[in-house]
Amino acid sequence: MSAVAGAAAVALGLASALLGVATLAIGLRRRDPRLLRGGQRYVWLVLAGALLATAAMQYALLTHDFSLRFVAANGSRSTPTLYTITGMWSALEGSILLWGLVLAGYLAVMARRFRDRAADPMVAWATIVGLAVAAFFFLLMAGPANPFRVVDGPVPLDGPGPNPLLQNHPLVAFHPPMLYLGYVGFTIPFAFALAALVTGRLGEGWLVETRRWALFAWGFLTAGIVLGAWWSYEVLGWGGYWAWDPVENASLLPWLTATAYLHSVMVQERRGMLRVWNLSLLVATFSLTILGTFLTRSGVLESVHAFSESAVGPMILGFFALVVAVSIALIGWRGDRLRSPGAIDSAVSREGAFLANNLGFAAFTFVVLLGTVFPLIAEALNGEQLSVGAPYFNRMTAPVGLTLLFLMAVAPVLPWRKASGDVLHRRLAIPAWTAVAVVVACVAVGVRGLGPIAAFGLGTFAAAAAIRHLVVSVRAARRAGSPVLRAFTGRTNGGMVVHIGVVVLAIGFAGSSSFAESRQFRLAPGQSASLSGHTVTYLGTRTVEEPHKTVSQARVRIDGGKVYAPGLNQFPFATQAIGSPSVKTGFREDVYLTLVAAPEPDSPDGTAVIGVRIQPLVVWLWTGGGIMAFGTLLAAWPGGRRRRPQETDGGPAAVMPAEPVKVAT
Amino acid sequence: MTRRSLSWAALALVLAGALVVGSRGDGSPPSDAERAHRIAQTMRCPTCRSQSMADSDAPAARQGREEILRRVGDGQTTEEIQDYFVSRFDDSILLDPRKEGVSGLVWALPVLAVTAAVAGLAVAFRRWRPRRRQATETDRALVEEALHQP
Repeated sequence: MSAVAGAAAVALGLASALLGVATLAIGLRRRDPRLLRGGQRYVWLVLAGALLATAAMQYALLTHDFSLRFVAANGSRSTPTLYTITGMWSALEGSILLWGLVLAGYLAVMARRFRDRAADPMVAWATIVGLAVAAFFFLLMAGPANPFRVVDGPVPLDGPGPNPLLQNHPLVAFHPPMLYLGYVGFTIPFAFALAALVTGRLGEGWLVETRRWALFAWGFLTAGIVLGAWWSYEVLGWGGYWAWDPVENASLLPWLTATAYLHSVMVQERRGMLRVWNLSLLVATFSLTILGTFLTRSGVLESVHAFSESAVGPMILGFFALVVAVSIALIGWRGDRLRSPGAIDSAVSREGAFLANNLGFAAFTFVVLLGTVFPLIAEALNGEQLSVGAPYFNRMTAPVGLTLLFLMAVAPVLPWRKASGDVLHRRLAIPAWTAVAVVVACVAVGVRGLGPIAAFGLGTFAAAAAIRHLVVSVRAARRAGSPVLRAFTGRTNGGMVVHIGVVVLAIGFAGSSSFAESRQFRLAPGQSASLSGHTVTYLGTRTVEEPHKTVSQARVRIDGGKVYAPGLNQFPFATQAIGSPSVKTGFREDVYLTLVAAPEPDSPDGTAVIGVRIQPLVVWLWTGGGIMAFGTLLAAWPGGRRRRPQETDGGPAAVMPAEPVKVAT
Repeated sequence: MTRRSLSWAALALVLAGALVVGSRGDGSPPSDAERAHRIAQTMRCPTCRSQSMADSDAPAARQGREEILRRVGDGQTTEEIQDYFVSRFDDSILLDPRKEGVSGLVWALPVLAVTAAVAGLAVAFRRWRPRRRQATETDRALVEEALHQP
């Protein structure tokens, strides 16, 4: 029954998306506002299709309807309910369904937000683009990635359940949906960018319309990536949180271009420049989400995450090529209208710093993209097998990252147009001396290594500059008699809070990747071992039977205090046991325990192998991620997000209408 | 003016001193275990995709680590140990691609791209140098209108 309902729902979504595109196209051709309004309403049918399909899938999963191939492959009667629900996105077909659902949701919000302007060709074109993207994903579901395919032959009585790694921690319920909210969210700004190109209304109006959409998508993507790192740390048990794995890179790439966009867009709003560049960044962000889906879903690169292989690959690659080709053609076609009226007067100015920032992010993106696809290129070129891994990415991105930290400190204090030495001195002296003080303090307490010291110093510099900005803004709010909250909301102020989050995260990254110590100890019950000033005592191992797995739990006392329980989980259908680490988290450092080998059943002394890893500042990563998400919310806070021209810091008044211009047809 | 430059010079001096001290190691040469760990980080665990031999708990990675430690104990250089693993598996064992041949491109291309981009920006800046433009009648009218708006 779920199969029929699901297939019908997918057909409804696909048909509505296509009909919507057709109706809007005809409406635009005939300049018929009634058709345009009608066309926009198809979005709601697409949403209905996505919701029904999701409901059918969830019903099938929860009722263990093993007649569906997807449920037979990813469900089991013994899997706990939470992981049965999240089973939907534990494999390719269900992930595409989740993508479709999120996209339909975004399109519905967009339709609601712009319902009064359905007759505006810009909105109509944006809706066409959005619906076309939705049609593609429904097409995938109707064809090669059909989640509602039924099994051939007899219906199995039980299934293997989701991939063991995906049913070992509740974060699986948050990390993928968060990531998808990020990826898919960029569809809306992308749709408006294409609409601006098609309609030729290339002023700053569409930017202003989609600024918050981009900001929210960015916030979700940030949270999704940080949660993924946390998950990797808490669940995968190898002690790290970022492996430069292709799947991780696939999520980082659109984040990098989106971050560049959020910055360079300010130059366009303020100075009317960089129009082609901003369009390109949005196109890059959207197409990188599609490319990432291709890389991770087609099985073209195997990795710890790539649990799927299918014929979906060529279709997604084709769609990626189409997106890139159409976008480039449109930008080329509108080239003459995109020429910017402004000019940059001095490299030492806010816009100069934004340019440098964009160069940095572009270089970062290039390195990560090249490193990720290079094994494929090399293999295609001369059949050479090679890998590009963490050492490459770390070495190549570290200088870029440090440069970006430096810019983060300098850019916010630079005025638009041109900076004088006096201004720089006044605004940078305190942050710079704070940074130097931290560097000296680090060296004094024995921190060694140019990389981490540079990261700590530049991080402090950037954080001090951000705090200085917030202090100035609190003072200004006090003077103006407005609530102090206003000193923290809005794009610039919220952005500074995000910057502080980035610094905290960067310091965590530098500290934890530079000064980790790890070792494995074979211990009999009662024996102790020590590493970097921490003592671990192995107390024994017990076995816990759970419905869907068998857990061997070692009991290990850390520093004579609390007992921690790293474990090994044996899932019935998996050959290899999945470790679950146990972490003593601290402000300064984490003690990370893994059970590498449980005692053999017939061993006389009951020795187990315990992995101990002392890693400093890990908790800073999660804290930094949290601050970034919070800062994003502040930046998107309604009211006061656009500064009135008289409040600007010395530059020319914004060449931007206070309200987006509505153009009647 | 001079006081300001003096303060920045002092800052640079203090910073340089701290960095010189900070970039020097703690003096003692790395132990065999540390060296072995560092080498293990540059090679892939043979049965995984992107985890290094240092990070993985797979049996093949454990054997690899023991082999590295043994060879470090025998006084072999990093290159000799890497060559041994390449001969046993293939080039894909190295997470740090070699700097010659096709794999050299992965190192060179970003450097070339960034250099080209910086050069391009420098040219663009020169072109962007403010050119004096005569205000047209329309411009004046616009300014006039804007100034007299309530």
